[in-house]
Amino acid sequence: MREILKRLFGGDTRPSKDDAKQRLKFLLIHDQVDLTPGQLEQMKAEIMEVISRYVEVEDDHGTEFKLAREDGHVALVSSIPVRRVVERQAS
Amino acid sequence: MSECIVITSGKGGVGKTTTTANLGVALARGGAKVAVLDADIGLRNLDVILGLENRIVYDLVHVIEGECRLKQALIRDKRADTLYLLPAAQTRDKNAVTPAQMRELITQMKAEFDFVLIDCPAGIEQGFKNAIAGADRAIIVTTPEVSAIRDADRIIGMVEAAELPEPELIINRVRPRMVASGDMMNKEDILEILAIPLLGIVPDHEDVIVTANKGMPAAFDDESIVGEAYRRIGRRIKGEKDVPEMVFNHDTGFWATLKRWMGLAPSREVAG
Repeated sequence: MREILKRLFGGDTRPSKDDAKQRLKFLLIHDQVDLTPGQLEQMKAEIMEVISRYVEVEDDHGTEFKLAREDGHVALVSSIPVRRVVERQAS
Repeated sequence: MSECIVITSGKGGVGKTTTTANLGVALARGGAKVAVLDADIGLRNLDVILGLENRIVYDLVHVIEGECRLKQALIRDKRADTLYLLPAAQTRDKNAVTPAQMRELITQMKAEFDFVLIDCPAGIEQGFKNAIAGADRAIIVTTPEVSAIRDADRIIGMVEAAELPEPELIINRVRPRMVASGDMMNKEDILEILAIPLLGIVPDHEDVIVTANKGMPAAFDDESIVGEAYRRIGRRIKGEKDVPEMVFNHDTGFWATLKRWMGLAPSREVAG
């Protein structure tokens, strides 16, 4: 009854199944890819280091690294805004 | 051609045994010759759900160890002429049997039956490995809960690793009223996460408890909605196309109708 009242008066409008689904998706990704948040951060830093050798990246602004799951497979999805290509120096 | 199907879930208590018993009854009533095999050695229950617990003389371990012939251990269900139970041993443990012995037993059983259904124990250890060893295909049972779906996902991975074909899903204990109010994940939510084909959904209904009390699976009862859900799943297992989905009505009372009319509750039907 309290739940119904809350919904009627616009308190918590989010159905609890959405919480279940969100928690599940997170759980399944981490069951499949056993990376700690620390390891994920380190991977991100190392990837950014390599990328910035070739292109100039908008520093941190808008860069996104996340694990996502589709059709039972986990993918690393990233979005990295690029400002311009780094001038290659003769080596 | 005969087929061996393992019914599994990972998590305990989601209704594997009830599902195995009902699918056995449904397939046998549809005319197939069916054996249900309890692979939960040490914690047998399929005999109880089927109401055959008083007729056990020999069990699966006796057959495997050569103490009796397969035919002596099989119990015929007199209510459905073509349904047989091979019970698990109650006083042994899961290590009494190896996957190779299970494969040999299943081969022997497939020569006699159209379908061999295996009731898999919970967990991912030896009992699970024994249960899937001789199977040609797997059915995953889950309920619309985070913990059950998480374990189902793990089991789907293990079934695929065992090189069985893509498993199929039964969603058990669905409460149409809670699905309609958004407090229970619906079949689309679950299929989006597990990404395997759906065989059907079974409503959470008092029938299941009453039938378990009596040892008379719902699939025997032509009036039971749970029985009907299992009979339709049985037809899909046999490869019948276009078996109509079940529609579960719920709450058609005044307040529910008013709430729907005011747009506070979604439509009142859940199909599966």
